Amino acid sequence: MNQKSHGTMYTRRRILQMFAASGLVAVPAACAGPGSGGGGDQGGGGGEALPTDGPVEGEISFAHWRAEDQAVLEKMFARFSEEYPDASVSQDISPSNDYQSNALQRIRSGNVGDLFVAFRGAQFVDMVDAGLYADLSGTDVVERYDPALIDVGQSDGTQYGLPYQLVFNQPVSNLDILESVGVTEPPPDWDSFLAMCEDVVAAGLVPMAWPGGEIGNAGHLFNCMVMNNAPSDDMCAKIESGEYACTDDWFLTTLAQYAELRPYFQPNATGTAVEPAQQLFAQGDAALLVTGSFHITAVRELGAQFPVGMAPPVTVSADERKYVGIRNATFILGVNTASDNQAGALELLRFLSETEAASTYANGTVQHLTVADVTYDNEDLAATSDWLSKETLLAPRFQFTDLDIRNAAEQACIDVVGGDSPEQAAEKAQGIIDQRIGS
Amino acid sequence: MPTTTEPEWSTESARSPGHGRTSGRRGRRRAGRVHPALYLFPLPALAIYVVFFAMPTLQAVQYSGTNWDGFSADYDNVGLGNFERILTGDDLFMNALTNNLKFMLVVVVFQTIFALGLAIFLVKNTTASTLLRGLFFFPTVLSSVSVAYTWKFIYDPNFGLANRVLEFVGLEQFTSSYLGNDTAAIYWVAITQIWFHAGQMMVIFIAGLQSVPAELYEVAEIDGAGKWKQFTAITWPMIAPATAIVVAYTTIQSFKAFDLILGLSGNPPRYSMDILSTRIYTGFANSEFGYAAAESLIFMAFIAAVVLAQRRILKFTQKDV
Repeated sequence: MNQKSHGTMYTRRRILQMFAASGLVAVPAACAGPGSGGGGDQGGGGGEALPTDGPVEGEISFAHWRAEDQAVLEKMFARFSEEYPDASVSQDISPSNDYQSNALQRIRSGNVGDLFVAFRGAQFVDMVDAGLYADLSGTDVVERYDPALIDVGQSDGTQYGLPYQLVFNQPVSNLDILESVGVTEPPPDWDSFLAMCEDVVAAGLVPMAWPGGEIGNAGHLFNCMVMNNAPSDDMCAKIESGEYACTDDWFLTTLAQYAELRPYFQPNATGTAVEPAQQLFAQGDAALLVTGSFHITAVRELGAQFPVGMAPPVTVSADERKYVGIRNATFILGVNTASDNQAGALELLRFLSETEAASTYANGTVQHLTVADVTYDNEDLAATSDWLSKETLLAPRFQFTDLDIRNAAEQACIDVVGGDSPEQAAEKAQGIIDQRIGS
Repeated sequence: MPTTTEPEWSTESARSPGHGRTSGRRGRRRAGRVHPALYLFPLPALAIYVVFFAMPTLQAVQYSGTNWDGFSADYDNVGLGNFERILTGDDLFMNALTNNLKFMLVVVVFQTIFALGLAIFLVKNTTASTLLRGLFFFPTVLSSVSVAYTWKFIYDPNFGLANRVLEFVGLEQFTSSYLGNDTAAIYWVAITQIWFHAGQMMVIFIAGLQSVPAELYEVAEIDGAGKWKQFTAITWPMIAPATAIVVAYTTIQSFKAFDLILGLSGNPPRYSMDILSTRIYTGFANSEFGYAAAESLIFMAFIAAVVLAQRRILKFTQKDV
């Protein structure tokens, strides 16, 4: 009887054959061609027409990186759910660094991010190339934005995304300190900027709190330093294409000006992270926080009571000046082509783009927006709203689509502050860029 | 004759009519046989291994020969081009490799010595030793991100504990920008790594030390061997397995200190703190999946080579075992 049952059982040989067969199946599965999985619409832009009307129901996933905005958004989404009782919104939030690195793959799956955002620059370009953004051209939602501020959400004339936030990547100033040294307006040229710094030093304070220990935050200053020095506004794109080089005169001039700023940064600036720089500024020991308007909220949370403004360095004389500051339109909203709930996502985008909801978001998170007719009640937003109409350049550092090239150019600036000569730092940076361009 | 109540997993030879009487080669082979169904037991583990290790590794091999960007349907096969570029024309990879070797060397040497020293002092099972072991082990249970942020504030040149303490004791001349000093930054990260993991290695050494028979020390004492001689002739050779584990594990940890580096330096890390794992991550973030896959394979091969070399060296130094 056992002999009989033994005949129906798997023999060792058969099991090993099964393993071998499984292995043979696994190998080609493992070697399936790259890009053969995932959702999205390969090859740039959305394919099928976006459903502009349809049932707004189910859970709508909103993928973004702004954890600090979560509470404000929760309240707004509660209002959305009152308007659409069959729909709810969940926030899928990743830290900004993770979002920069992983969002494309996660959103492409279609499991999260029915509505999603992208950073301006490399991420937006990649997401459009991967076909993640549905085409919003011609939809009513586009009309709710200031047309002059949303071209960064376009590619080849198609409006794929809508940049929501308008930030100023330039030094935030403590107006009390500047007034105490006789500065009431942003310095109009390089000499007056250095004179202002000298006066702040004479008052026993640090002119500039700069997070030189973190290349990502340190790089915001780069925008202002090149905006008037470079021969063209697309200087970073041209560095990446090889048309310009870090060893060019204009870049060397910029690096030399970084060297001039050395005595005006806090001690050991190249080892300072962003939080201590914010702390230095918030407790009134530094006149400028050299990052951007997006850090005003953090500074207020650290207890800063003084009025704030902005004072970007203009690196040329007043008559050579083209720009007085830097702006950036980012947090580029889009509807996911891989989503099963595009109608819901589009309706949520419409909701966020309404003047009332946008005003709630702007004042709650202390950020200017690209949505038209937003009312800025927040004191800091109101105080800095004059920058909306000034001659500012769209932050050039985000023209870089290769992160290694961007880091090489920005690291050269940090190296100069750390003691390297401009020529030495420029050579080093250009060496890396040449390798990247040649690859 | 076998009975029907006999368990299914008993050996074939046990069921065999000739069981008990067979002898010689054939009998020995039958005695070693297992029921074929037992071959199914490793299946779940094997499936996990295949899905989460073997297949991704095979995929990495395939991707490494392409210029795939991570999302496009189109890509070109570049053969060994990625490997050639990594090894001959990528200063950033070489910089990361150099940093990683410096980091590994410092961590492996000093963490091992420090952990062994702690283990020797705390090997006895007294209340004080147990308490101190717990304290030294404590950092291991913290998340690496917490450790990174804690040390980031210790190293901060303006508000950080390190410079404050130096100023307090009158040693202002030794204050530093720590992570801002490109020459020394990787060594400051190494100190954090040693603080983070030395307690874990101490526990492995204590287990090794406690397995050394006390009689060996008694005999050595009778023979007049001093403490150092006892350590070199008994302790060091006898804890060879523990040392091998500690060194191999520490080496692998040094190559994978990814989250610690990103926590301390931000993303992307500065060149002075960029190591192989962070460089590979930057490659993936830069939409260079093919290239980053090739870097990953070199990374794997490098770790394997270093660990093998270490095992040989340890065998050589502990050949008396």
